[in-house]
Amino acid sequence: MREQHLHDILRHLPAGVVTLQGPEMRVSFANEAMRTVLGPAVREGALLLDGGNRLPADLQEVLRQVYRSGQPFVAQAYGLSAAFTDGDDPTTHYYDLAFEPVREPAESGDVTGLLLFAVEVTVQEEARLRAHALALETRHLDARLRVLTETAPLITFTLDAHGVCTYASPQWYRFTGQPPTADLTAIWPLLMHPDDRLRVLYQAQAARQAGTGWSYEYRLRRYDGQYRWVLSRAQPEVHPPDPPVYWHGALTEMHDQRELAEALRRGEAELRFLADSIPELIWTATAEGLIDYYNRYTTEYSGLTLDELGPAGWVSLLHPEEQAVAARAWVLSVAKGTPFEGQYRMRRHDGYYRWHIIRARQLADERGPRWFGTCTDVEDQNRLHQALQTQYDELARAHHDLDTFVYAASHDLRQPALNLRGLFDELRRTATFADPEQEHLLGMVDGALGQLDATLHDLAATVRTQRPQQEPVELLDLALVLEEVLLGLRPQAQQRGARLDVEVEEAPGLLYGRANLRSVVHNLVSNALKFAHPERPPHVVLRSYLTPAGEPVLEVQDNGLGMELDNPQTPVFQLFVRQHTHVEGTGVGLYLVQRIVRSQGGHVEVASTLGEGTTFTIYWTQPE
Amino acid sequence: MRSFVLFTKVYILFAALAAVLFSGSLMIHIAYISRAVHPLSDKDLQHLLAQCRHDNARNQVTGILFYSHGNIAQLFEGEAEVLEPLFERISRDGRHSHVRKLVQKPISVRSFAEWSMAFHPIEPAGFEALQGFLSPQALPPLPTTLSIADAMLVELVRLAVFPDREVPEAPAPVQP
Repeated sequence: MREQHLHDILRHLPAGVVTLQGPEMRVSFANEAMRTVLGPAVREGALLLDGGNRLPADLQEVLRQVYRSGQPFVAQAYGLSAAFTDGDDPTTHYYDLAFEPVREPAESGDVTGLLLFAVEVTVQEEARLRAHALALETRHLDARLRVLTETAPLITFTLDAHGVCTYASPQWYRFTGQPPTADLTAIWPLLMHPDDRLRVLYQAQAARQAGTGWSYEYRLRRYDGQYRWVLSRAQPEVHPPDPPVYWHGALTEMHDQRELAEALRRGEAELRFLADSIPELIWTATAEGLIDYYNRYTTEYSGLTLDELGPAGWVSLLHPEEQAVAARAWVLSVAKGTPFEGQYRMRRHDGYYRWHIIRARQLADERGPRWFGTCTDVEDQNRLHQALQTQYDELARAHHDLDTFVYAASHDLRQPALNLRGLFDELRRTATFADPEQEHLLGMVDGALGQLDATLHDLAATVRTQRPQQEPVELLDLALVLEEVLLGLRPQAQQRGARLDVEVEEAPGLLYGRANLRSVVHNLVSNALKFAHPERPPHVVLRSYLTPAGEPVLEVQDNGLGMELDNPQTPVFQLFVRQHTHVEGTGVGLYLVQRIVRSQGGHVEVASTLGEGTTFTIYWTQPE
Repeated sequence: MRSFVLFTKVYILFAALAAVLFSGSLMIHIAYISRAVHPLSDKDLQHLLAQCRHDNARNQVTGILFYSHGNIAQLFEGEAEVLEPLFERISRDGRHSHVRKLVQKPISVRSFAEWSMAFHPIEPAGFEALQGFLSPQALPPLPTTLSIADAMLVELVRLAVFPDREVPEAPAPVQP
């Protein structure tokens, strides 16, 4: 009964129990737990060492040894494949196995059997194995971290909450040239640039007290005594809720970047200074056309702050009538990348609008497109321009009035002059003079009257050309017109024994006013005859041709006295200016030629050599 | 005639008083541009449109948002105490970055009757009928209540978001 009770207890034990009888290890009792360990074959009466049980050889050997020696044995964390009991499950289970020899009688007798306990320790064993693997991994990571921290091109360090430096990677020693025995905490601040030291120590302490990380730049003395800019960044190691105890960080040398940035900053600062010093409104805009900089003068001129000006506020400075136009033009410029230019009135701080030329151009380089603009005050120029325009208009009016007056006067004077001439002729016919001196006097009066009439006639002709397009333009046969004009000059020509050559074959036709053409030719040819050289008969060549550009030209060449072209006292085409005062004339001819040709859009060129002759070249039309 | 003048004076006084009393509910508008962190899909845009319209209608926020290829620009208007915290939230929103505020200033009247969004859906069908959706090709002209400077700002940001949009020819500038 007691044994039965004991068996019941053993059967429900969570540990495996099996009792074995005799050297052939016959199972006399095995509980369920043991069957999950050694397999379903472990039943009462079965032979454990039978090959059919497929017990691992080492286990069989231990069973035999314990039986033979009578010494108990404990095997810890013995691994048994689960496939041993359940063919499909390959996992390994671990058991603490206790082998207890059974003696009969107890204590003193021979060994007659074995008691085998099995307690599963799979979970513990797996945990142990995991811990082992972790330890290996940690060692591996540690090694990797060490290699990395000691080979990376930066200095790593660790500080504690009191600012004591507990670790600095070997790069620190290499960079600073300090011996490995150096007291890091004491010497580090001494290696900082004196100008940076206080700031860095303060910032580091403030960060430690606040429990935050830091990032700042300072100069650290290198082994060669040079101070190099370094970036120090550190983060606290935090295990909430405790305050951080360690700060880990890295120092990176960034001297070159810093120098470059410094140079850029300097360059930019200088440009800004320049822009701020110019008394002109200067601004820059982003690729989108939004203003991101106004120079100081802009705020002074407008009386607005940079905030008030804003990215588009410049438009509100313009005169209300011009805002919409300027805004549209600017949007269009930005859209197309084309330069912006326009004249706009811009409001000064006192409310007065001044004219400005606003110009902006787009700069496109590797930093992306952006705009540079200026507003140039042209108020004064505009006022000057307006004043000049007013004066010009007044002068033009006065000039016109004068012309009208001259025309009216010459016209009005011609009638009395003609009357005078008639009366004089009548007087000459009826009266007789005894004195031959008086006859000579009469001749002089006659000449003077003729000259007065010619002058009045020329004056009237001159001012008539004032009104352009008075005369209809027609296609003229040059040969015909020239012949007519020369016919009119025949008396003078014959008197001087002149030779007149006309060459119009190259450009026989001309679209021009008939009277104008006649007037020009008449004046030039009569001049050529008038200013002939006393030692040779005049020879005048009139040639019509086309320039390479197709403009019609008339050339009038003589072999006369010639002119001084660059004498400021006697400009060639000036009214009433006469170069050869010994020859009678009114000084109107060339002025008239010039005015006629110019009024039709052409121009006159003159080449002359004193004593050899003069060539006038008339370009009838305006060059294209 | 006298009574009319008096009435006008009283009215002006009343209006001035009202302006002082209601100065607490100051109207402002804010414009900004930003970049979306991820390009937005049709579904994202539709969702954004629906959500913003709902929120903005509740808070009486009106305005317009432009979106194209990750570029965002928005002009919105409403009461200062609504808009300022709203912009705070917008600028902290992780869905976009590079938020650049272009303008924030008081306005006397609203220029937009509602809040709407203009973008190019990949599948335009179905969007046309969506409340508050505007096609970038068929944007309405800017309200004339905007100052010219503000209208130009909106034109510029619209141009930055939709660079292919046709820009009307500018008339020649006035010559003095």
